[in-house]
Amino acid sequence: MSDFDFPATMDGRQLANEELLDGQGLKALIEAGMTWLKTNQQTVNALNVFPVPDGDTGTNMLLTIQAAYIEIAKSGEKNIGKMAHAIAQGALMGARGNSGVILSQLFRGFARSLDSFDTMDAARLIKALAEARNTAYKGVVRPVEGTILTVAKDIALAAETSLAITDDMNIILERIVAAADESVKHTPELLPILKQAGVVDSGGKGLFYILEGMLRYLKGLPLETALTTVQPLSAVSVGETIESIEPGQDYEVVIDFRPTQPLNFEIFYSDLSEMGTSIQVGEGEGMYRMHIHVPTEKRYQPIDYTMGLGTITKVSIENLVAQMENQGSTQPPKLQLTAVEPGQIAVVAISPGIGISRIFASLGAAAIVEGGQTMNPSTEEILHAVENLLTDKVIVLPDNKNIILAAQTAASMTVKKVIIVPSKSVPQGLSAMLRLDPNGDFDGVVKEMTQALGDVETGEVTIATRSVEINGVNVKEGEVIALHNGLVVNSASNLEDACLGLLEKAHTEDHERITLFYGDNISKNEVNTIVDRIRAAYPHHEIELHEGDQPHYQFIIAIE
Amino acid sequence: MNERTNQLGNIYVSPRAIATIASQSTIESYGVVGLAAKNLAEGLAQVLVKDPTLGIEVRFEGDSLQIDLYIIVEYGVRIKSVANSVQDNVRYAIEKAIGLTVNRVDVHVRGLRISNTD
Repeated sequence: MSDFDFPATMDGRQLANEELLDGQGLKALIEAGMTWLKTNQQTVNALNVFPVPDGDTGTNMLLTIQAAYIEIAKSGEKNIGKMAHAIAQGALMGARGNSGVILSQLFRGFARSLDSFDTMDAARLIKALAEARNTAYKGVVRPVEGTILTVAKDIALAAETSLAITDDMNIILERIVAAADESVKHTPELLPILKQAGVVDSGGKGLFYILEGMLRYLKGLPLETALTTVQPLSAVSVGETIESIEPGQDYEVVIDFRPTQPLNFEIFYSDLSEMGTSIQVGEGEGMYRMHIHVPTEKRYQPIDYTMGLGTITKVSIENLVAQMENQGSTQPPKLQLTAVEPGQIAVVAISPGIGISRIFASLGAAAIVEGGQTMNPSTEEILHAVENLLTDKVIVLPDNKNIILAAQTAASMTVKKVIIVPSKSVPQGLSAMLRLDPNGDFDGVVKEMTQALGDVETGEVTIATRSVEINGVNVKEGEVIALHNGLVVNSASNLEDACLGLLEKAHTEDHERITLFYGDNISKNEVNTIVDRIRAAYPHHEIELHEGDQPHYQFIIAIE
Repeated sequence: MNERTNQLGNIYVSPRAIATIASQSTIESYGVVGLAAKNLAEGLAQVLVKDPTLGIEVRFEGDSLQIDLYIIVEYGVRIKSVANSVQDNVRYAIEKAIGLTVNRVDVHVRGLRISNTD
């Protein structure tokens, strides 16, 4: 719905005392809620971990309320019942995603309650909110609490209790927004998965923004600029790698703190912006993490300032200038990745070491994501790599069985056509890579590459970290173990014996070529001794040796 | 591929176990008000599901895992969005819990429940 123009800046207006809301008034409120949700769309997206962590709740809710607004944009309807029905109809037709569908149900219940009325007063508003809640709850057999449903319930309750105090709809809306805020903050207590992720519910937060937008409109506050961009705590990290730094960014200061009073973001941001740049704030369960880049002379200022707001639990200061210089001197030669053109097929390969990355790059990989045994890349890293490519036909090679799932999740989160060729090891990935034809037919290339997975036997050699009996092989801690296609096939007291034992088990005599990738935990001398032994044992085989630089595994071996 | 092997041995996951997970996440999906027996003869939607495989069909065809869901949807919601959400939820729940790749989730809307008339 990119062709939808957002309305120009709205002028807010307070509802006069005893004033009743008509159809046009409701239309203005919907427009305000929509505009404020759009402003905060990314914040809502970032919170999305339930039921599927696909980061689209804000977008889905916005598309839903936009569809509702488009339905009424040109309507001059004065009757609030008719207007509410038009809104509900638009939301129903445009409902997207879980939260969008629930939002459309809320509108539907709201509309039904106002059926025959021309205008709305406080009492009718309260009834309509209750009906909205009831309708939303009817749409699911087993409502999950700690979601937008809970927030809708708490809103209806707050409205009901407000009526005893006032019938001024401005005040009632203010109380509703406060209740929604409270309810959203409470969601991690009801839904453990939110607590684990250190976030509040995204759909609930989206509903909060819609209501807050309405309130801001009534108060005449701006709707187009976000107060802050608050992200989940985990998104703000310490010691980020940065490409370049600007003057005045000498130190990176990251502070975790617990404010004694609710944080006023506007003031907080404006105070911080006087000290430095690159300000980020993360929130989770009453904890906040702030991140800022400051010049040398101001490196302690953020700490002093934050101490005045509450209790500091952790501080980290890094000298960015020194870090940059360090990077400059030790950085290995850059990877020569293959540039892709729109329409071509690109490959994203997951690689456990820089040496292996270089080989993937030389074979035509368009992007490399670091990751492997015990260091799975996140879905976001893979998604990021996919999204950054200029083409929409992407093949991902996970190169480890534990990464296949993350790759699939990433594939489901993009509109690009992404296929996972499920390589379980580096040799499988490289074998598939050899079949890449960037200009070929996508399905055909995928088929070819998938078939190539079976062309190669994978060997891996590493040191056992504990004593165990696996697969009928008795392994003592510190011994060298060899894996053939992921299964332990032998153990030995030294690398040479383990390698030779592995090659035997892998029926190397039936194959022609052995390619060894050595890890970052073995010396060149050791490597040469072992390769000499292998040459002696398999004199008729072609033997290749590459620097793999992978951690954990002394050797990754491809036998084909 | 409901059988996987690691260093300690084989792991078998039965279609019934997969169906149970699918059933739970279907029933928690917004807009779904019941599962329907696949066979229309037994076809009353049962909201209280005792058999975890009611309305769920799990099939392995070679290496490919396919799931069919027979659901009842609340009248007045956008059925396409509900069905999309159910597909996403079920696939994610199974992949997260078992680590198997779900190749297909087909959603069959077997009926609508009307609890309110507008």
